Amino acid sequence: MIDIVGVIAPNLLWILAIVIGGTLISISVHFIPVGGAPAAMAQATGIGTGTVMLAAGAGIAGIIAAGAVMSRNQDFGVVVGAAAVGAAVMLAATMIVGTWIYAYGVGVMPVSAKVKYDPITKYRQDLYVSQGTEGHGIPTVTYVSSTIGGLMGGLGAGLAYYALMMVGTYPYAGVTPLEVENLNLVGVVASFVIGFFFINSVIPSYNIVGTIEGFHDPKFKRWPKAAVASFIASIPLAIVAVVAVGALALVGGL
Amino acid sequence: MSEHKVIPPNTLAAFGVVGGLAGVYLAYFLKDMNSVFVFFGAIGAICAAVWGADVVRRVASYGLGTGVPSIGMLALGMGIIAVLFGLSLGLGPAGPFVAFLASCVIGAIIGIISVKVVGMTIPIMVRATTEIAGAGALLILGLSIVIAGSLDYAIVVKEVVTTGFIMLIYIAGGMAMLHPHNSNLGPDETQDRLLALSAEKAGIAVVLSGFASVAGMGAIAVTMLIGIFTWYYFFGKYYGFVKRDAYKVVDIGMLPTEEEMA
Repeated sequence: MIDIVGVIAPNLLWILAIVIGGTLISISVHFIPVGGAPAAMAQATGIGTGTVMLAAGAGIAGIIAAGAVMSRNQDFGVVVGAAAVGAAVMLAATMIVGTWIYAYGVGVMPVSAKVKYDPITKYRQDLYVSQGTEGHGIPTVTYVSSTIGGLMGGLGAGLAYYALMMVGTYPYAGVTPLEVENLNLVGVVASFVIGFFFINSVIPSYNIVGTIEGFHDPKFKRWPKAAVASFIASIPLAIVAVVAVGALALVGGL
Repeated sequence: MSEHKVIPPNTLAAFGVVGGLAGVYLAYFLKDMNSVFVFFGAIGAICAAVWGADVVRRVASYGLGTGVPSIGMLALGMGIIAVLFGLSLGLGPAGPFVAFLASCVIGAIIGIISVKVVGMTIPIMVRATTEIAGAGALLILGLSIVIAGSLDYAIVVKEVVTTGFIMLIYIAGGMAMLHPHNSNLGPDETQDRLLALSAEKAGIAVVLSGFASVAGMGAIAVTMLIGIFTWYYFFGKYYGFVKRDAYKVVDIGMLPTEEEMA
């Protein structure tokens, strides 16, 4: 049996960081234009897949960016920033390619059905919505929204990743502290953050009932509920994660 | 298909819990005698996957609003966190059981939060997330012991997590739980067809994890054979059920040749 209290006590700050990361991930999902099956048939605005796939794709891109940077530079801002930018670039790339496919492949124009004028470009929207659909493609406001969502989700993932790496490299009594290059540590931390990301992107996707267009969508106002839910859910998950990663450090990283 | 008999949830839950835990523990204790016996873990994983697929079937038929894959990914996400936690405590043989319990607790917390805070109206949500997290944990435990040949935290981390096979378990195991309902849902959904598809998918996951195993040639061969046999048997059963449930199965023939088109 490992010393659970001895692992948790010095890492309370990092537990808080993981919980904040989970809450950020949860809020970020509300920015990402998830269209689900209707969008796959160009009958709703957004990308034609589920929240979990889009948000998790962005989150994993963020974790890869954070992991790659962390082996070279352990500065907090650099690691978390790399994760945010990695996730945002991944989502922006998905959105731009999606726009090409909707415009040149499906033959629909990017238009939102939730607002009359695009809040950013001020272009008229409602005239261009095909009958019987709820918009199609990725209009400018949605594109911008998804990039913000990517930044935020990546920030959350990077925060959780950095916090768990710090827990793993903390000098516990009687053991040699692990190096950030320790592959076993990186593997365990990455697996945890991915599981954590999946849980915290499913909770808000229940909150938005599957589809959302971005921050201009009326459903966006529901975000506090998901944020509270993820905050509470992240507390036990963070404690469990810190214990398991700390245990790895206690056995010397194997 | 109203005359169709449905296996009650409690029976399948018992099947999953007992089958899964028995499989994991038989593998855990017998592997010291001969590493071939890790194949019991694969059998436990198949039981857990069938149980999980039935839970997904029950909860997703209420309409989650987000697509079925979300709950499958949720299950494995909770499972991974609970399994690594349970094994990391260094409790010896109690580790897998603690991992299973921890996953059920995490599942219950997530279920209660989604009902109380997010405001989901599915009446069986708490029970479903608890069960699905347990099934996910047993599935990961079963396939991990096949790959690593042990449930020692150090060995699982080195052989399953660091090598990246955890993602194989994540997606292939998740498929066995979420895909059956996703592809069978609708008014003509029947439970036996769905469970047969789940076992077939679990067979594929077992073949893959057997291939990735480091427990020795005997274990690799036996596990892969079990996986191939499971896949073959349940694919045949599934095909039979599809033909039974379909209104009519017609042969459309080959594609017309260019001369016939002209």
